[in-house]
Amino acid sequence: MRKYLYIFKTEVMTNLQYAFDILIGFVSYCIMIFIFLNLWHYIYSDPKELINGYNMNQMIWYVIITEILWMSLGGRKLCKKICEDVRSGNIAYNINKPYNYVEYSLSNHLGLVTVRFILVGILGMVLGLVFLHSTPIQSIFQVIAVIVSCFLATVINILLITSLGLISFFIEDANPFYWIYSKMILVIGTLFPIEFFPQVLQPIIKYSPIYVVSYGPAKLFVDFSLDSFIGIIIAQIIYLIIGFSVCHLIYNKGVRKLNVNGG
Amino acid sequence: MAVITVKNLSKNFNVKLKEKGLKGSLKSLIKPKYKTIKAVKNISFEVEKGEMIAFIGPNGAGKSTSIKMMTGILFPDKGEIDILGLDPKKDRKRLAYEIGCVFGQKEQLWTHLTPYDNFKFFGAIYDIPEFQVEKKIKELTELFELGDFITTPVRNLSLGQRIRCEIVASLIHEPKILFLDEPTIGLDPVVKENIRVLIKRMNKEYKTTVVLTSHDVSDIEKLCKRVIIVNNGQIVLDDSMENLKYHYLNKKIVEAKMKEQVNLEDEDGITILKDKGYNLKVEVDTKKRSVADALKILNPDNIVDINITNVPLEEIISDIYKAGDKE
Repeated sequence: MRKYLYIFKTEVMTNLQYAFDILIGFVSYCIMIFIFLNLWHYIYSDPKELINGYNMNQMIWYVIITEILWMSLGGRKLCKKICEDVRSGNIAYNINKPYNYVEYSLSNHLGLVTVRFILVGILGMVLGLVFLHSTPIQSIFQVIAVIVSCFLATVINILLITSLGLISFFIEDANPFYWIYSKMILVIGTLFPIEFFPQVLQPIIKYSPIYVVSYGPAKLFVDFSLDSFIGIIIAQIIYLIIGFSVCHLIYNKGVRKLNVNGG
Repeated sequence: MAVITVKNLSKNFNVKLKEKGLKGSLKSLIKPKYKTIKAVKNISFEVEKGEMIAFIGPNGAGKSTSIKMMTGILFPDKGEIDILGLDPKKDRKRLAYEIGCVFGQKEQLWTHLTPYDNFKFFGAIYDIPEFQVEKKIKELTELFELGDFITTPVRNLSLGQRIRCEIVASLIHEPKILFLDEPTIGLDPVVKENIRVLIKRMNKEYKTTVVLTSHDVSDIEKLCKRVIIVNNGQIVLDDSMENLKYHYLNKKIVEAKMKEQVNLEDEDGITILKDKGYNLKVEVDTKKRSVADALKILNPDNIVDINITNVPLEEIISDIYKAGDKE
């Protein structure tokens, strides 16, 4: 475990050197929040009015949280790196080290996400407080619960994207799979809560990864209840186990097919 | 005691074939064709503890594939590998603690960090206690003379400095075997020599077994006592450097500057390589004729200046490669 913590720490150290550059990259985040702020102001004639169980402030905070999770993830970078590692044979140079590639990749990427999460998290909170003047969170316990859920959501997201990247062992390019995944998260998980979708789709979305990587933590932030917290955490733990198992299965199968010619 | 035992090792690669043009691309989509490349064919050898061996061959000979199988990166199709009593296929993780690898063409260091932070990182990766890592860093910093740049980010180091750091990073966990895959590639002659001295010093100090691959004959000549030459996936020579020199270096080059012009012709064991009247270059096959015979033919009284040298080792190795190709 110590080695993975060290990998995490090393990646945090590396990314801290580029904190300012990372922050500059979040301009699109500010634009996105601004657009949604205006959109929901326009849709809600009265801010206290409820649409599918959400008032205007909750809707805007929902987007702020899901966007924090997605923007800090750097999923495209992760998938691209794994695809390139596999295709170029670079993965071979990780194989002869005393760690597991999946865990290495997870702890390494978590280092990047941590720096980004802190930066975009502060930015999102400041934007939310400036425009909405209050947060739906009411206690320290709720803050901790949301952070725990965000952490689990990020780990699950990394594992799912890692498994998509590892498909490169079997096909030429796994990036299109990531593209589909990212668009699904954007459309179904980021912009609107599950309750906004047709009744027929809701149970399907609730069993999908979108529920645990996006909707869950945001829902806890905007409308916390102990029951929903327990339900979301259980679902996240189940997905965590699935994510780890799938990653290891693909990696163990794929590594036997590794084809590295030349020096 | 053998620390590396390789028996009948073979490895094939399946490479996808594609015919020319758009039609070929469509065809390979529907019915892909594969070609089997026999990268390593039934090779066997042993390496003793503390030995420094050169594992060389032309590009595509199978040397890197063999090393990757020995280090657990690739799975062999056939044959057995025993590295310090471990099977790289099954005990890959345990083996990683016992071996070190430096791939001259691949960076293993984190370029944004300093060498010191990198060494600490590798210490943690190999589960070495903190105090022990510090001690080892101090020791290796002195041995590899890293003091001047140990706190400079790796991205700002010269190639020579970086390679020294790469070697140190692979020695942090005190490996019993070190695989050096073209460690001096791209370095200038002075830095190359420096690296060679340091590798030699390391071998002497820690009794580390070294398996070296390099296209630079000087690396091999100056570092290794034994050489394994691989070509077309097979071992074409496994001998001591001494034997290689004495058995294959049976030719001498005699270059002479003459007082008067001479007219010589090829004789059995003596070949005229260059004849510019007053300047001659003759190759003597010492298995058939002695150098003294050649001097007699040239007439010592007519010689103004003379230079007798061996055929360069590079040429001998290249001849061995070519012989392997013909077979």
